[in-house]
Amino acid sequence: MEREILIEPVTRIEGHAKITVLLDEEGNVSDARFHVTELRGFEKFCEGRTLWEMPSLTARICGICPISHILASAKACDAILAVTIPEAAELLRRLMNLGQMVQSHALSFFYLSAPDLILGWDADPKGRNVLGLAGKEPELVRSGIRLRAFGQGVIERLGGKRIHPAWAVPGGVNRPLSAEDRAWILENLPEAKRTIITTLDLFKTAFDAEARSSLGDIPTMYMGLVSESGEWEHYSGYLRIVGPTGEIVLDRYDPARYSEVIAEASEEWTYLKFPFYKPLGYPDGIYRVGPLGRVNACDRFGTPLADAELEEFRRGGRSGRTIDYHYARLIEILAAIERMERLLKDERILSTEIRAEAGINEREGIGVHEAPRGTLFHRYVVDRNGLIEKAEFIVSTGHNNLAMNATVREIARAYIRGGEVKEGILNRIEGGIRAYDPCLSCSVHAVGQMPLLLEIVGPDGDLVERIVRDGQ
Amino acid sequence: MQLVIGIGNRIRQDDGIGPLLAESLKGYTGVEAIAVHQLTPELAERISRAERVLFVDASLRGDGISLDRVQPGEPRGLGHTLGPSGLLFLTEELYGESPEGWALSIPGSSFGLGEGLSEEAESLLPAARAMIDLWLNEGRNGG
Repeated sequence: MEREILIEPVTRIEGHAKITVLLDEEGNVSDARFHVTELRGFEKFCEGRTLWEMPSLTARICGICPISHILASAKACDAILAVTIPEAAELLRRLMNLGQMVQSHALSFFYLSAPDLILGWDADPKGRNVLGLAGKEPELVRSGIRLRAFGQGVIERLGGKRIHPAWAVPGGVNRPLSAEDRAWILENLPEAKRTIITTLDLFKTAFDAEARSSLGDIPTMYMGLVSESGEWEHYSGYLRIVGPTGEIVLDRYDPARYSEVIAEASEEWTYLKFPFYKPLGYPDGIYRVGPLGRVNACDRFGTPLADAELEEFRRGGRSGRTIDYHYARLIEILAAIERMERLLKDERILSTEIRAEAGINEREGIGVHEAPRGTLFHRYVVDRNGLIEKAEFIVSTGHNNLAMNATVREIARAYIRGGEVKEGILNRIEGGIRAYDPCLSCSVHAVGQMPLLLEIVGPDGDLVERIVRDGQ
Repeated sequence: MQLVIGIGNRIRQDDGIGPLLAESLKGYTGVEAIAVHQLTPELAERISRAERVLFVDASLRGDGISLDRVQPGEPRGLGHTLGPSGLLFLTEELYGESPEGWALSIPGSSFGLGEGLSEEAESLLPAARAMIDLWLNEGRNGG
């Protein structure tokens, strides 16, 4: 008899989703589906808008990572203007992206995932959240909150506000960095660095061992931007794809040509598309992006502390462990802080030459950079007046869609045998998804939380079993 | 220091009344006023430094402006945003104590996309502002 297990919705992620586990006649898992059930349609309603408003407009895709969309959009617009933006503008955009990475990763780690990692998968869900963690590890939560606030402070000082700053514009940025704001960031960097070093130590030594162990591990390729010399990149550079053990699959590839190597498949049961690596086809062209993708794809960070952490991370070779997304996320925070230090010591960052002016010189523009959750692509086609004829976004969460489904399938296989569902499956499936830090606001939908429901449904649609978790 | 936190979205019509009122207080001596879309855990540190805190928010109820005490309480649902009570609870957990908390609710009638308040909400602004001034004076006089 075929049965279906439904988990709806998945909590502590940015948006809503539900999960169905399909069982075969022996009661074993045949497949799993991570459904994203809402449609936002941003690509469609950008049509007809002017190029100049695209950074601000696309920032509204998400309240968590608006900076990522602002920057990808501004880069696509630069390409349409056919300008090289001033040096200081690039330095400032880089600084903003690093601030974004710190605040977004801190949110994901300290607020959403640390409760699982410290309190354990089987802790009471009512207390397995940031408040429960605050009761047990107040110093960790206090420092995590301050770390996120630091990242937000960087954004606020550059853009004038924390969310949706109209700052990056076609051709550059619209506000220089003041000496006072540079001093504020430099003054606060040491505390941020201490926090992440302490957290990395805790993560490696004191966190719940079972929660840090295997969780839906899958062999995949990994994708990220790297510099000319193979260093970790977040703003420009080349696309690199490596195989499960680090072998180069694609290298020094111009990201503007992404559509030649990446295609998107659709399934009728979800609004979130499935990007895949074209040469291997669908679904074999599965790859992962985001912290684990970037950390596995690069040769080195190019900063001393992050490189030391990378060496330790790589002792056993490239990691295919889904849970290591968290580890990679922490290393990236450290790398971001080191890169910020370097940027701020460069006097050119205070220049007031921050914007190149031009009209419409190209009809198509592609902007690519690394958002906290992974490689983000914006592609616009405009008419001669700069009105958008077509907009296309491939967002980080989309890249990981195949992998998230495979992760859920592997966890379900470990917890369901012969129709018997072991205790703790819900928490682990959610934890597996949460490791990717999916942003469904970006991929299709908006933010919120709801209770958790698991249903086992027979082939005739009859409910066989239902497990409800109230208001997690 | 007394802290006033206006909660809401300025481009969802009456939802913007909290931020609008908070921004009108900027520059007041002894008052820190901030406007936010949501209550996030980062606010706990600021709250811990305040003597009193007032949350100003639009409400869906249409039965007049209300000013109520808010006690710290563990919320049931939780992600990266909290309610006033949950935020006070988090402040207590992290910093040992939380200040006296109050919530000013102003009924809104239009929450669609758009800037500016509805006529109904606009008409409530003077009374809401007067209640905030009264609350601030009480605090200055020792609550």
